[in-house]
Amino acid sequence: MSDNTAKNTAKHTAKALVLPVALLVAFEVWARATHLQSDSLAAPSDVVRALAEAFADFSILIATRDTLFSAFTGLAIGSIIGLALGIAFGLSNTLNRLMEVTVEAIRPIPSIALLPIALIALGFGYRMEIVIVAFACVWPILILSRAAVRSIEPRLMEVSRALRLPAAQRVWKIIIPAALPRIFVAFRLSAGIALIVAVTVEIAINPIGLGAGIMLAQQALRADLMLAYLVWIGVIGYALNIVLVVAQRRLFGRAALSGDSA
Amino acid sequence: MKKIIATFAVSFALTGSALTTTALAQAKIQVGCTATSDCASAMVAVDEGIFKKHGLEVEMTPIGINSNIPAAILSNSIQIGGPTSTVFLQAVDGGLDLVAIAGASVMNPVSNGNITAFVRNGITIKEPKDFAGKKVGAPGLNAFLHVLFVKWLVEKGVDPKSVNFVEVTFPTMSDIIKSGGVDAVLTAEPFVTRMTNAGLGSVGARYAVELARTDPIIFYAASREWADKNAVAIKKFRDAIAESAEIVNNDREKASASISKFTKQPIELVKMTPPNRSVPELKPEQLGWWIEVMSSQKMLQSKLEPNKLVLK
Repeated sequence: MSDNTAKNTAKHTAKALVLPVALLVAFEVWARATHLQSDSLAAPSDVVRALAEAFADFSILIATRDTLFSAFTGLAIGSIIGLALGIAFGLSNTLNRLMEVTVEAIRPIPSIALLPIALIALGFGYRMEIVIVAFACVWPILILSRAAVRSIEPRLMEVSRALRLPAAQRVWKIIIPAALPRIFVAFRLSAGIALIVAVTVEIAINPIGLGAGIMLAQQALRADLMLAYLVWIGVIGYALNIVLVVAQRRLFGRAALSGDSA
Repeated sequence: MKKIIATFAVSFALTGSALTTTALAQAKIQVGCTATSDCASAMVAVDEGIFKKHGLEVEMTPIGINSNIPAAILSNSIQIGGPTSTVFLQAVDGGLDLVAIAGASVMNPVSNGNITAFVRNGITIKEPKDFAGKKVGAPGLNAFLHVLFVKWLVEKGVDPKSVNFVEVTFPTMSDIIKSGGVDAVLTAEPFVTRMTNAGLGSVGARYAVELARTDPIIFYAASREWADKNAVAIKKFRDAIAESAEIVNNDREKASASISKFTKQPIELVKMTPPNRSVPELKPEQLGWWIEVMSSQKMLQSKLEPNKLVLK
């Protein structure tokens, strides 16, 4: 990459930052001038201070660990189930038709609607959150991987048949590699969903993680701390997306592009 | 391909390792309460080592919404919870086998004085019937303050159906009153003072003062199964709560410090309002009034027997 391109990128970033920074400064000035008294708004400087305090006493780090642990475990379990079912439905038309009604009946249930049952059955903690996140993550992976398997070049399947590959090897050597770029897009989509669902479960019921942190800060009338948690969740979501996009590019190279248009 | 599988494997390993840490520490009794001063006796007993003195290992769990407490007890996430009388009775009426084990807070002239219907600027309430046609925000529909307010309206001859109730949580009250989203909110201290000082409106009615009740607000409850198996622990719990209730009622400094520690509210804010009166004993007849009021508001389907609801 030439120096010029780097300079251009930096210039672009600086320009893009002008508006949000100006808005923040304006809000800060307004908050100071009007002696803002609110239980749901706080001056940006107070939010930054609260964020620093939450880092200093490790509370936000512990909450981040809890949320990400639940989100990623749920994502992993949901991905495995979704992928297995997606491949099976993609390969077998009969199975797909047999299961269609069942899948379409369960899929529209909002994962959050399971909370009351999940609370009684599983109690507070990671388990309940993981189950709900996994439930939410199964569907996008299932549907996209089913579509991915179906759109595999038919000649590849013919080759596997000509080679008399056993079913397991056919899945392992032909289907997964061929469908992987599109499956990864589904995984990226689900990763976003996992974080949203994990935080929502914590806001609604579970007394751990970043969502519970927001609720506790709100109930303690600490609008600054509540907004600090909100900003931090935004940062995590942004970082997660960057990591996944970079991973997608590095793992699949040009194939990643075809996946994105899927 | 191998690289990809390795990536997945690493992420699995990372997530799996943390699972083991969760299953630990089950021996402790978890007490779940919302971020109010009602469970102050448990908070003080934890902070002052009173539970320890009685041989109990107790930890407090903050619960966001009071109506989640019965489910949390049944799932054994918490062994003892602090539901409001309304939440407890509705849960039992719905078939959950809960039992009250000790008293936490009760209504008294001081706490009743903290409860008001706060009206926004531009709205005048001279008498109860002025609430007709108004939009009133309650922190929980069919929850403590809502039930009390409806009871007050009925006593004053106002049809509760003429009032439009919506749910407004405590922390959002001042902003919603300011924006005119509701005409009044059913609230309590320290919100009343904060909103009054900010010039957002005025007190429209002191309905709890007029009702002048002394019934329980919140009490400690457990599942009957756990209570039956842990009679000794409950005896110790009651003794500890009786000791710390004295501190809650007589030592504002200590009580405020513990409340602030558990609710994470700034200590200056906690000190502004005296904690609700702590009364460790709970008698079955104290639930009678609630059962009657809730039945008249058609919130209970079955006929509840107070004697069976309080552990002897």
